[in-house]
Amino acid sequence: MSTTIKAPTPAPDETVGRRRPTRGSIGKFLVQGGTTIALIALIVFFFAMRPDVFLTFTNVRNILFQISILAIISGAQTLVMVVGDFDLSLAATAALAGSVAASLMLKGTPTWLAIVIALAVGLAIGLANGLLVAYVGLTAFVATLATMTSVTGTAYLVTSGTTLFDLPSGFNSLGQGRLLNIPGPVYVAIVLGVLLWALLRFTTTGRKWYAIGGNVEVSRLSGVNVSRGRLLAFTAAGLIAAIAGTLLAARLGSASAVQGSDNLLFSVAAVFLGMTVVRSGQANLVGTMVGVGIIGVMSNGLNILGVNSYVQQVVTGLIIIAAVTLSSVRMRAR
Amino acid sequence: MHRRRGPAAVLATLAAVTLTLAGCGSDSGGGSGGGGGKGDDFKVVAFTSGNQTPIGAWWVKAVTAKAKENGWDLKMIQGDFDFQKMNPQVESAIGQGADVILDGYTDVASIGSIVTAAKDADIPIFAMDSATKASDAFALNITTDQQGIVDGTLKVLGDSIGGLQGKNVMVIGHDPHPGIRLRADLALKDLKAAGATIAGGDVQKVKSPATGRTEALALVSDYLTAHPDGLDAVWVGWDDAALGASQAITEAGAKAKVTGSDATSEAVAQIQAGGAFVATANQPWPEVLDSVIDAVKKFQDNGDLPKKNYEAVDTTIVDAKNASTITPSDKLQ
Repeated sequence: MSTTIKAPTPAPDETVGRRRPTRGSIGKFLVQGGTTIALIALIVFFFAMRPDVFLTFTNVRNILFQISILAIISGAQTLVMVVGDFDLSLAATAALAGSVAASLMLKGTPTWLAIVIALAVGLAIGLANGLLVAYVGLTAFVATLATMTSVTGTAYLVTSGTTLFDLPSGFNSLGQGRLLNIPGPVYVAIVLGVLLWALLRFTTTGRKWYAIGGNVEVSRLSGVNVSRGRLLAFTAAGLIAAIAGTLLAARLGSASAVQGSDNLLFSVAAVFLGMTVVRSGQANLVGTMVGVGIIGVMSNGLNILGVNSYVQQVVTGLIIIAAVTLSSVRMRAR
Repeated sequence: MHRRRGPAAVLATLAAVTLTLAGCGSDSGGGSGGGGGKGDDFKVVAFTSGNQTPIGAWWVKAVTAKAKENGWDLKMIQGDFDFQKMNPQVESAIGQGADVILDGYTDVASIGSIVTAAKDADIPIFAMDSATKASDAFALNITTDQQGIVDGTLKVLGDSIGGLQGKNVMVIGHDPHPGIRLRADLALKDLKAAGATIAGGDVQKVKSPATGRTEALALVSDYLTAHPDGLDAVWVGWDDAALGASQAITEAGAKAKVTGSDATSEAVAQIQAGGAFVATANQPWPEVLDSVIDAVKKFQDNGDLPKKNYEAVDTTIVDAKNASTITPSDKLQ
């Protein structure tokens, strides 16, 4: 039975751009659009530095390829953060899913079945997280920290601590193949992004999740099944992380227990950056993709300029601080 | 009721799982008193921070087997790269008494408190690949000849691209690992001396070994985008990152060649396949472990410590000619 409710908080995408900055108030405009402006500024800066390279088809494709897996995991993180939680186990879940798929294929399991089982593993981990948070009553931090630890250990058991490789070419083509000269993972990221955006923007489920993230008690009193909403969000996130992990294994042609572990912090950073894009300050898919774009453009641009990777990490942190600070200034101004 | 029973049920399940796993996996023993001893009286504390790497995982199994073979009372501590967790465990084991400490692949710079505790208790540390030069911390540390690795890999690289003079070569390293840091610096120096141009001007640094492959993949992809045909070779300090560099070169359709180090099965397979990956270095860890264990047995028998506390043994450079004869480092038994 579905319950029709008026969500206490509207989906944040609706609020984007409704209130225009006061005419002539450049400072206010900069504050309100800080993160998006940061992305545009980065693109303009790197284009100015390397006009012969940065916006070429090859490099734009390169950027999209590099951020596609992060975009998928960040989409998963967005779902969980919409309901007011976060998931520390997403990157570990992705690594385990890739490891499970690789291990099964190396033992002769058909590729499609190995992928289905890997996705089921991700779904199960997400379900476990959801049960622990929504029904057992653990905080998301504790629950997902614990599952992250166990899932990573399981991935080591599955891979025996080694890197699994020599995967079927059909599987590798999922991550390395191209359609119209665009790599497959880019399409997957775009399709999933659109689906998640539509889920959050147009469905009752999405509205309920935003309601839960806005105020749990008000949602409960409004008739929203909070526990089920959180369970669903974690479960969906686990499944999406497994898709990302399986794609990453296909993209690299190999799988290991810690593959893509940096995606966890980058995904949280992307969602935080994205939260600054909308007035409500809530997690939202469009904003998250802007955040992913900032991380990807900066990494690629700084690589092209030959900037030391340690400096890149410092700059990434500073940009996140700057964007979130701008957001908090804006919130205070309201 | 549900909310009360839930956490209790979870705790009970966790306790049961933990006890089951502990029953399956325990290989530890206690320790008491220092000095020599025979059989079960000889207490050995072994530790490694690198148990999550293929070679570290092999070391744990191999040392456990050696201890069983020699009748030692072994306490094995696995640190998961977490020194805050591992070091107190080792110090606690030292406090309970031990005759010898074994260090596998854990940099001396990270175990200062363990070294102090061992010195205070007068217990010698026998180590493998734990420093790149002689250190008073160890009664013995055997590692591999880093200059030999650099010489061998650069020779294959030079041969594959028609010499290093005037060629654009990228060097990829990882500073926190002392061996990789040293050999990357040596490679940089030797490449400059050979007249090569260093892509990016310095060693390109990968931040985490866990993401080494994707970081190297992005580094080389981005470089090749900015400088099409601007790379003749990539020298990488370890195989996992070298595989990322190799993939970037293949995807870009470039002709650059790559070398790594470690002789993992994936690297050896790529060398055999004849693509961009042309060489890696095989480090003889089973032989090194045998030498370390022999030294421990001598100490057990008569209390003698090795005359030299540092050795750097030769490695084998793996290329297309001998790749089929090599046992990859992640397949060691």
